[in-house]
Amino acid sequence: MINENDPSTLSTSGRLLSYNNAVKEGLKTGQQFTELMDQLINTKDPKKLVEAAQTLSVFELDSDYVTFPHQYNNADYYLIFMSRLLELHDQGEAITLESHEDDQHLTQQIAALGDLGVFAFVGANDSNGGVYYQDRVTNETLFYLNLSRRMMRFNSSAITKLFVETYADKIEKDQLLTATDLLIAFGQALKTDFGFDVDFNLLDTNNNEFYEFATSNLGSEVVDKLFVAAAQENYMLKHDKDGAVLELAPDLTLKIASHNANGGAAWGLYVTDKDQSVSWFKVLLEYPFLRKWYLENIGDLQIRSDSLVF
Amino acid sequence: MPNNNEDTTQEVTPGQAQLDSSITQKINYLQTLQSALHDHDDRQIYELIDKTRYEREVKKSRSTTKTQELADLVADDHEQLSHYLSEKLIDYLGQTYPFFYYDEVKDGEFDIYFGNWWDRRKFGKLDVLNVAFKFDETEYNKLKRAFELDALNQRYNTENIADITANSAELQKLIEGQDERDHEKEKLRQQLKEVSQKSTLPWDSGKVKEERQGIVDQLSKLADDDEEAINANKKIKENDEKILSLSKEDTILTYEKQSIQQKFEDFSHFESHNQSLYTDYLTNLIGKGQVKADD
Repeated sequence: MINENDPSTLSTSGRLLSYNNAVKEGLKTGQQFTELMDQLINTKDPKKLVEAAQTLSVFELDSDYVTFPHQYNNADYYLIFMSRLLELHDQGEAITLESHEDDQHLTQQIAALGDLGVFAFVGANDSNGGVYYQDRVTNETLFYLNLSRRMMRFNSSAITKLFVETYADKIEKDQLLTATDLLIAFGQALKTDFGFDVDFNLLDTNNNEFYEFATSNLGSEVVDKLFVAAAQENYMLKHDKDGAVLELAPDLTLKIASHNANGGAAWGLYVTDKDQSVSWFKVLLEYPFLRKWYLENIGDLQIRSDSLVF
Repeated sequence: MPNNNEDTTQEVTPGQAQLDSSITQKINYLQTLQSALHDHDDRQIYELIDKTRYEREVKKSRSTTKTQELADLVADDHEQLSHYLSEKLIDYLGQTYPFFYYDEVKDGEFDIYFGNWWDRRKFGKLDVLNVAFKFDETEYNKLKRAFELDALNQRYNTENIADITANSAELQKLIEGQDERDHEKEKLRQQLKEVSQKSTLPWDSGKVKEERQGIVDQLSKLADDDEEAINANKKIKENDEKILSLSKEDTILTYEKQSIQQKFEDFSHFESHNQSLYTDYLTNLIGKGQVKADD
């Protein structure tokens, strides 16, 4: 009997044929790969773009008979995808993708941040294809992305550490906002183009966004601290049925509440403004006394991120 | 015919006449009160429930009509009466005392809160029937003191906070001095060793003993400081908590003071307003009644 898998059973020409077939298969895989790369790099259709990225992110380029010495990491295709998607939304200039030829990997820099921050995706090891967008300098992960599950989750702790603490005294506030606006734009594109479920967390500007504190039992002394700090800056923290209210500007109020938007018991914040253009993050950048209060009590006040991925 | 009448009609004794008049008086009283209630004539109601005070403080007359017994007829209605009368009164108070907020804890019973800021103080009760504030004495006196200290450019807890801050600074020094103390201890222990190793000649023994004791004393003083330094962080934290609560109280008192200054300029005007509240309010009601009658 001739068994194709057992070379010893084959004649010489049979072996050559089998070898040749395996190489053909390997080349076909390579061919397929380059087509997907073409698609990822060139397509103007967002649907095709995400399709290519998704396939490439789990693509196995090597086969038994054909291996490719120069390969990018699977997570690198996410970076290309991100750059391309932003490009399709006219924000291509705002980031630069860098290829490191020596060890064949990609990194990304956000133009607004200058030399601060070198970003790349790393696998989340969560067995369903999720990746983290990570700063290689500090290892802070700004968001979680999962193309097959169509979800994106921002990480409040990393955003606070990088944009409110680490970068804050190194670059202008406007630059910081440009950088976070870019990340928001990416999330928005995922939402509108592919119907992703995106949690913008403390970057969310919606009035009904409830920024939930880490603590479920906020001590009144934490609010007392804000009361005293606000008074020193000539803001009055006012009594409210459900907590406390701080009017920061005629059209900007911050509310500390003991109920979330669905009426469930939880402590957190609402930021309300007419245009729904202000997030808790923007408030933190704008008002030093609130930033100080937040950072000094971060153990209690840290805005919660999706606990399934962070 | 007249004879028949004489048979059926009992003669009215003076006692009966008095009773009749007394009942009539009560009926009249209650009827007047009822129609005042129907007409929303709060002024009339106030007059009826305390005629003596009304005569004295509104009409400024000295007559002392004995009407208390009649007012007692509605004594068990005071809760509802107070609830009813509160509406217009609180409206009125809102203009003169915009910084007071009222919480009806049960029918006709009102707690007063000072201000609408975070953790505003419960400042006392509103006595609706007597048109009077019953301030919580402790809170009231704090505010009064805050006004006095204002003249000295001080806040209620300024001194207190300064003392605690100084204490924390001492404690901080103690913590920071640890390395220096460790160094010092090492030196002293070495000295102690040297002293011990000295051949003690009989005539030197007293001096050596003294020297030794001196070193031991210094070491024990340093050990005490170490001990205190260990607890210092906890104490500093406690101090911080105290300072926070005192600063909060100062902030609240400042807001209260500002509220009063905006409306009354100073504390004495505020006090005199409170004292004439009954007269002022009823005079205001009379004025409104006239406007109504003129319409």
